[in-house]
Amino acid sequence: MKRKPIKIIVSFILLFIASCEEPETVVTNYVHPDGSVTRKIEMRNLKNNFGQSDVQVPFDSTWTVRDSIEIGAKGDTTWVKRAEKEFKNIDEINLAYKFNLGANKGISRQAGFKKSFKWFNTEYRFFERIDRQLSFGFPVKDFLDNEELSYFYSPENLKHDKETGPDSLKFRALADSVKMKTDIWNSKNLVSGWIDEFSKLSQGKEGGQKVVESVRSHENELITLINTNDEKLDSLWSNGIILKRFMSENEYNTFKSEADSAIENVVDQIFFNFKDYSVRIAMPGKLIGANGFIDSSQVMIWPVRSDFFLTEPYEMWAESKIPNRWAWIVSGLFLVFVLTGVIMRVIKKG
Amino acid sequence: MTMKPESEKYNKVLNILRNSKPLLNSTEDIEREVINKIARAHQNRLYLSKVIDFLFGWVYIGWVRRSLITASIILVLVFVYQQSIILKRIDFLSRQTVIIDRENVSTPADEIEKMLLIYKNSGRRFPSKTITISEKQMKELLESVNELQIKYKDLENLIEGDPELKKLIEKKLIESNRTRINL
Repeated sequence: MKRKPIKIIVSFILLFIASCEEPETVVTNYVHPDGSVTRKIEMRNLKNNFGQSDVQVPFDSTWTVRDSIEIGAKGDTTWVKRAEKEFKNIDEINLAYKFNLGANKGISRQAGFKKSFKWFNTEYRFFERIDRQLSFGFPVKDFLDNEELSYFYSPENLKHDKETGPDSLKFRALADSVKMKTDIWNSKNLVSGWIDEFSKLSQGKEGGQKVVESVRSHENELITLINTNDEKLDSLWSNGIILKRFMSENEYNTFKSEADSAIENVVDQIFFNFKDYSVRIAMPGKLIGANGFIDSSQVMIWPVRSDFFLTEPYEMWAESKIPNRWAWIVSGLFLVFVLTGVIMRVIKKG
Repeated sequence: MTMKPESEKYNKVLNILRNSKPLLNSTEDIEREVINKIARAHQNRLYLSKVIDFLFGWVYIGWVRRSLITASIILVLVFVYQQSIILKRIDFLSRQTVIIDRENVSTPADEIEKMLLIYKNSGRRFPSKTITISEKQMKELLESVNELQIKYKDLENLIEGDPELKKLIEKKLIESNRTRINL
């Protein structure tokens, strides 16, 4: 079991103490064959606090809104706001994302719709994509195997059910493995980002190239140092003990400020504001493919967490098809026609 | 006695009727009608044959026949291919996880742990901009700190009460410190 020094946790709380109460939000896209989308948002909050800036997805006064209150078994009140809006096409959704002033306004998101005529069927593809946040770092799939990846992208309630269900031992081991590997992934991203930033800042400075190369060639060693000395890392860093392993005393004195600025810049990039939510997509016709999960009402669902689009884009897509009945009839008649002709010829020849 | 002459009479009448031929006023009309009927039947057959020839004349033209047969085969192959792909995809989709409950969108605990990890790994640096965390996250964090403190205290009491365990833990801690990179 990983140790969590209480001192660090408390200091962390004190440093980041700035809280808000965002609603639990589920956005559902009802995609129509003509490319229009009916978008419904369900927001649940313990307070009647649904300001435009608190909601995770674009939402404004142009939506049709319905408010309600749910009283739980323990008498606790949940405020529920349901909003609905008809988007004529994908461009309207993308425009809403572009000018979004909500809780996740800094995040680049797009939606897409594609209709492909394939004679027997017409296929539809709808996606929502969130662009990667960091310009550095490694894709998480380089660190996790398929089973771990599937677990990593799973909704929280599913993880919880698995970890407390009949195969709990297996899934707890899987959760631990995912946790351990994603910790390594986060450390590698941090170090990789720091080296990139350090390289940028030391550019043009005498000896900068040599120092950056030296640090880059010891990237893995640096990661090990960070992971094994996390408790006293701040003092080891500020005293220059870590950096002096990869550069001389003189070089350390010359590039100390760049190294400090680089780590600050990277931390700024890694800690971005993002409020989790869920996306649901209901496609026209029969669903034939998707990379999400299926909820109790047989609609595709995806959790959206900041980890998912840290170092690579996160795309939630679904594909469906509607059979073209007329094409089936035309094809059948054509086949009968050709077959009759061939049979007639065979008979006449005989 | 009375039956015999009646029967004879009947037979005589019958013979007379049999031997007398019908009087035909327009034999030509009848002839014409018969000829027309035969011609009409022939015309129908000719018309049907023409339609069939028109529709299926292509079977006698080699390149048209080959093209249509090829088109039919391609159509069947496309159909089989498309349907098999779709069935495979539907099968894969049906094997995907089904979530019974409604999606829980609350921030997972490991999200906070990740933030902590970055905070520790960056030499306890925090971003210059404000980061907002929800009240729920804050509550969860404080609860886990409290829980951790209680568990830590319990563990301390347990270790203090068992000298054997204390020795073992001290030994393990020394070993653990040795494995760390000596800076």
